[in-house]
Amino acid sequence: MSARQMKLGLFLWATGHHIAAWRHPDAHVRAGIDIDHYIKLAQTAEAAKFDMVFCEDAAGLREANINIASQTSRSIGFEPISLLSALAAQTERIGLVSTASTSYNEPYGLARTFASLDNLSGGRAGWNLVTSASPIEAANFGATGLRPHADRYARAREFATVITGLWNRRVPGHDGESFSVRDPLDIPPSPQGAPVMVQAGASDDGKDLAARTADVVFSAAQTFEEAKAFYDDLKGRLAAYGRQPDDVKIMPGVAPVVAATKAEAQAKYDALQELIPDDVGVALLSSYLSISDLGRYPIDGPLPELPEGEGMKSRQALVIEQARRDGLSIRQLARYFAGARGHWRIVGTAEQIADELQARFEGGAADGFNVMPSWFPGELDAFATLVVPELQRRGLFRKDYEGRTLREHLGLKRPI
Amino acid sequence: MHLAISLNIAAADGQDVLDFGQITALVRNAEAAGVDMVIISDSADKPSSSPFEATTLLAALATVTDKIGLVASASKLAHQPYNLARRFASLDIISHGRVGWNATTAQNPREAANFSRPEGFSDDDFRRRAWEFINIVRLLWIGWEHDALLFDKASGRFHDPDKMHPANFTGEFFSVPGPLNVARSPQDVPVLVMSGLAGTELDFASRRADVVLLDKLEPSGARATRDEIKRRAHEAGRDPVAIKVLAVADGGPEHDGRSLEDLCLSSGCDGIVLTVQPRAAAVEAFVERLLPELKRHGFAKAQGKTLRDRLGLSEDSKP
Repeated sequence: MSARQMKLGLFLWATGHHIAAWRHPDAHVRAGIDIDHYIKLAQTAEAAKFDMVFCEDAAGLREANINIASQTSRSIGFEPISLLSALAAQTERIGLVSTASTSYNEPYGLARTFASLDNLSGGRAGWNLVTSASPIEAANFGATGLRPHADRYARAREFATVITGLWNRRVPGHDGESFSVRDPLDIPPSPQGAPVMVQAGASDDGKDLAARTADVVFSAAQTFEEAKAFYDDLKGRLAAYGRQPDDVKIMPGVAPVVAATKAEAQAKYDALQELIPDDVGVALLSSYLSISDLGRYPIDGPLPELPEGEGMKSRQALVIEQARRDGLSIRQLARYFAGARGHWRIVGTAEQIADELQARFEGGAADGFNVMPSWFPGELDAFATLVVPELQRRGLFRKDYEGRTLREHLGLKRPI
Repeated sequence: MHLAISLNIAAADGQDVLDFGQITALVRNAEAAGVDMVIISDSADKPSSSPFEATTLLAALATVTDKIGLVASASKLAHQPYNLARRFASLDIISHGRVGWNATTAQNPREAANFSRPEGFSDDDFRRRAWEFINIVRLLWIGWEHDALLFDKASGRFHDPDKMHPANFTGEFFSVPGPLNVARSPQDVPVLVMSGLAGTELDFASRRADVVLLDKLEPSGARATRDEIKRRAHEAGRDPVAIKVLAVADGGPEHDGRSLEDLCLSSGCDGIVLTVQPRAAAVEAFVERLLPELKRHGFAKAQGKTLRDRLGLSEDSKP
């Protein structure tokens, strides 16, 4: 391989990334209790030569209002490490990346678990480091209140130091602010040396931590300019930690809706949008904005002025920016974000989608993409059979795996 | 008579460590021989060379087997109760209702020092914390009624809000409102296995456990413990048949099918659990010599789709 090629991740999410995906006539509504569904998705992605499948995670319900929660499919699903361990036995090449929170785990336990997944899969595991921002999750761990953003990141930095030390056979004898660990890790290294480190936080704290420790960064950006600014910012931070620009792969999320014609793709998307109940859309928007009472404002009026929250700061800013830029009402904004959760959406033909991905990839705004099908399995099948071959024809994506491990797929160095 | 095999993957001493393929072969052989469950233990007092952690290994094994019960040890120090309840609830769905949690009550001296508890726990604190932990996990496992999920695309109602029950637990060590974000277990609740019991722990196990594993005991000692557990279970209002007590024995060359049958009968236990060393030669000897004999001696004849069905536990599993 000579020319630079893009990396592709498949972001798994039960029935699909669209909030109303489960109501789509062909969506697999029992996804959250059907392991065979996930095995098929992972095998489809592997046949299409994706670098990895990726699972997000939350240790609690995603919505406190039970009437709202019961109108979504998001209150039940698989715990991702057990899910990916099962997928490890049913796939051969594709990377297996799971989110796990630094807020509610201990580094020694998580190091063992991911090292084990890495061994089970022959070197295909990755860990997506997150700090938890949800008060619903916090309550399940005895916390009386959510910790401030800065404290969560201090704990996350220490967590990352300890876990990479364990994986890279350093430490032991750590005795810090949040954690103490006496022994070296009792699981031997996998063929890729250590699991791949992934991060997604886009706040200043998040970007600094990613620059210091991440191999892969997932991001959210609507426009080329936003994506480019994030890309340049993060790559620019690497030198301070003695790292090269190529040491970190930046993969923005993208929610494609693909069909044979643009009109057909738009019709598919519009039909899904019609399935969103208003109260569900507004509740989802409220959670992105870290406020609880958006429902009391007129739904066809503008977004009110909002205080800065302790939740997901970067997502909040993204939503507000979108509302102001396009003059959207609460209802319009709610529907807009319910579709792809703040990620970039492209509705069109395979050629149009490939054009857009190519522009961001070649324009220096992405090293690849984390693909978020709006519903499963149909939109994954459409992407794999229509868009991937188009990217391959253009020489932008591999036709076969060149290596065995996730680090090899991503062109990452082995850790020391 | 029930038959379980226990594989302590973490006990490996550096020689001849089993890989996933070898472990899969062992478990499939056990499945073909009618073994009720394989128990993946995962604790070592000194650093082991096992390449796996028990719950991840179990998830992978769940996809390459279809009858045998799969039980994993998971430590109450390495996990928070919410996380552990989720892990096992997921494993149970992945395995179509074949999973159990082996909640060992013994403290592993290495663990506290690696899990940010350098001061450790007193035995009494550890025990009270363990009971609280197990009660929370159970409350989380029964938080969704069996028919809570509606999947009703037309009306837009995914689940019935009245059939979801938060745990709302507040105790001395933990507070967990729940509910769990994993659906109800295909076998009602994953099987709760307890081992390493002593003294007052027997009382707790008698009230909560589905399966109790006895430490290596002479038949008379095993019988006394078995009688005590069944008596306390009865006092706690349970059918004593609904708690299975398995005597322990080593799966090494000192045993044959007849001696194990004798052990099981003289101890009055519901079956035996055989410890198999995690070395290729030990596994080969076990599979080729002992496993074929056991069926002839009355072991491993149970049928059933879920682990509860195989163990005859389905009738006593209601909350």
